[in-house]
Amino acid sequence: MSNIEIITDEESSFVPVAESKAQGRVKVRRRGRVAMWLAIVWLVFLTISAIGANSLPYVPHECEGSTSKCSTAIYGDINRIERAPVWAWFADPGKDIGTGADHTGLMGTDTNGRDIFARAMLGARSTLVIAGLAITLGLAIGTLLGMVAGYFRGWIDVFIDFLTTVMLSFPALLLAIFLVTFFNDPDSTGGAKTRPIWPIIVALVILSIPPLTRLVRANTIAYAQRDFVVAARSLGARGSRILFREILPNIVPTLLSFALTGMALLIVAEGALAFLGLSVESPTPTWGAMISSGTERLRNGVWWVSLMPALVMFLTVLSVNILGDVLAQRFNTREAIA
Amino acid sequence: MRYVLRRFAQLVLVVVVVTFLAAVALRFLPGGNDVIVAIRSGGGVTPEQYQAVVEELGLDKPILSQYFSWMGDFLSGDWGTTWTTNQSISTEVKRALPISTYLMVYGQFVALAFAVPVAVWSAYRQNSRFDRVATTSAFGMLSLPNYIVAPVLMALFSVQRKWVPFPSTYHSLWDDPVAHFKAFVLPAATIAIPLYAGYMRLLRADMIGTLQSDFITTARAKGVGTRRLLFGHALRPSLFSLVTSAAVNIGSLMGGVVIVEAFFLLNGMGRLTVESIFRHEYPTVQYSVVILALIYVGINFVVDLAYAWIDPRVRAGRALG
Repeated sequence: MSNIEIITDEESSFVPVAESKAQGRVKVRRRGRVAMWLAIVWLVFLTISAIGANSLPYVPHECEGSTSKCSTAIYGDINRIERAPVWAWFADPGKDIGTGADHTGLMGTDTNGRDIFARAMLGARSTLVIAGLAITLGLAIGTLLGMVAGYFRGWIDVFIDFLTTVMLSFPALLLAIFLVTFFNDPDSTGGAKTRPIWPIIVALVILSIPPLTRLVRANTIAYAQRDFVVAARSLGARGSRILFREILPNIVPTLLSFALTGMALLIVAEGALAFLGLSVESPTPTWGAMISSGTERLRNGVWWVSLMPALVMFLTVLSVNILGDVLAQRFNTREAIA
Repeated sequence: MRYVLRRFAQLVLVVVVVTFLAAVALRFLPGGNDVIVAIRSGGGVTPEQYQAVVEELGLDKPILSQYFSWMGDFLSGDWGTTWTTNQSISTEVKRALPISTYLMVYGQFVALAFAVPVAVWSAYRQNSRFDRVATTSAFGMLSLPNYIVAPVLMALFSVQRKWVPFPSTYHSLWDDPVAHFKAFVLPAATIAIPLYAGYMRLLRADMIGTLQSDFITTARAKGVGTRRLLFGHALRPSLFSLVTSAAVNIGSLMGGVVIVEAFFLLNGMGRLTVESIFRHEYPTVQYSVVILALIYVGINFVVDLAYAWIDPRVRAGRALG
């Protein structure tokens, strides 16, 4: 009996499934759910930490000339430079500079004696705001373009396709560099001013538009032929009504999973910009900037400065990817398209 | 044939628009003519000298005529010299292009060499232990940015164990093959990891779909062996998304791996372009952009034609339409 159930399942392979394998699949499902919940827990934790990054008592040590408002994420402790994380018994911090314990903090301290964990949580703020805003805007524009191209077809489709091809043919990183340097205040090269956040967002939005447009277009074409759309059209519904009331609700689930995957990519892209010195400037930490500042020290055995923020980024990107995958599987539109 | 010609015309137009946009963007970067003149002449110029440089570079002319004269230079092969070092731009590009090409080819080769067999076997034995390990690890690899992988690989293999030298000095494949491969092994691995994960997932998903189709059941019923069934019958119709994705990646790998190139100190196209922007070497940037755009567009063109080879249905569809 259970075999019948499994074969109707969309995931079933063509190989006849034995009883033991059926149990295996149930286990996989449960494991997938565990991964999903872990991802959600991590993202919730990260969000709360990011919001409360300035006030949460993460850091056991005080800053120099301690006042009540002193963040170890921004001001380092000169006595605690490059201390290994407390749990890293195998790390050899060298302890060249300063006094006190040679292991501090959940993730150790960086080259300026700042607490890496506190900094990573503060960095979550800028990273998530940049990636989140960029994907929201990119999705809004990409969806509009894609739906218009996929529904109306004709010359507007050709034009939008041309536009996306141009954007894709332009080397992506170059586009980002152009935009960020273009919108930066020329005076900021002096380094005194902090760079504004929005040129980075604009750059990432523009990078995310072409692939999203193409995906939405493909989805729209699949729905534009469906009976309910034809019915709406024959009832005299206008184009905008059909797009937003008939087609959009159907592609929203797919869009959500695109959004999550895209956000993961943008978190990584922001880090790449930070590597080229083009993201938000210090003292505002972003994960990319933190990782890049530590890579030099990696060769000297000081691994936590770079790898701890890398771990935070990895977990976040992984969580977002897992959620995107869960959504994509739940709203599998394959049979609707076919 | 008409389709091919129309597509070709469209792609030429794309290249023209891209290079024109690049020209406009470069002109409007902060600083404008002042920066260009300062870079060109080494700073400290009198107003007369300033005017002379502006006229020499044609900066006083309208942007369209500047663009067309640049286009003429590009087509005639006379690319001029860099502003600061007075080196021939075509020499610079000729030095960078093979490095990028090797990096791209090795990265893609490693990624595909692992991805295809793993994906085929994962799809065949879906939900087996092998499949679960393969899919989970691929998922993890997708979430690893190259700027994390590169320093870790470097610290492990060229600092702790001195297996490969750092920096990866470029050696020609023909002069010194061993040094050549040693220089490329870590960067290629860095590039291959996320590529492998992406390809593996794509091919596995498509393969699972193919293995459910009727012709596979027929082949199996005819008594076709497993290996022949998987690689002879099922693989080719499953290659569609993989080929598309691999081809699109060729373009982005040629110019988009600046960070990997920078980590391993390889002077490829990506680094040449980005550093030229930072040094305000605009002619070099323009030539890099046009080359990268040509590669991207050209490969897309080839892929479009290759679809017909992979999937005869496309050929038939085009003949009808």
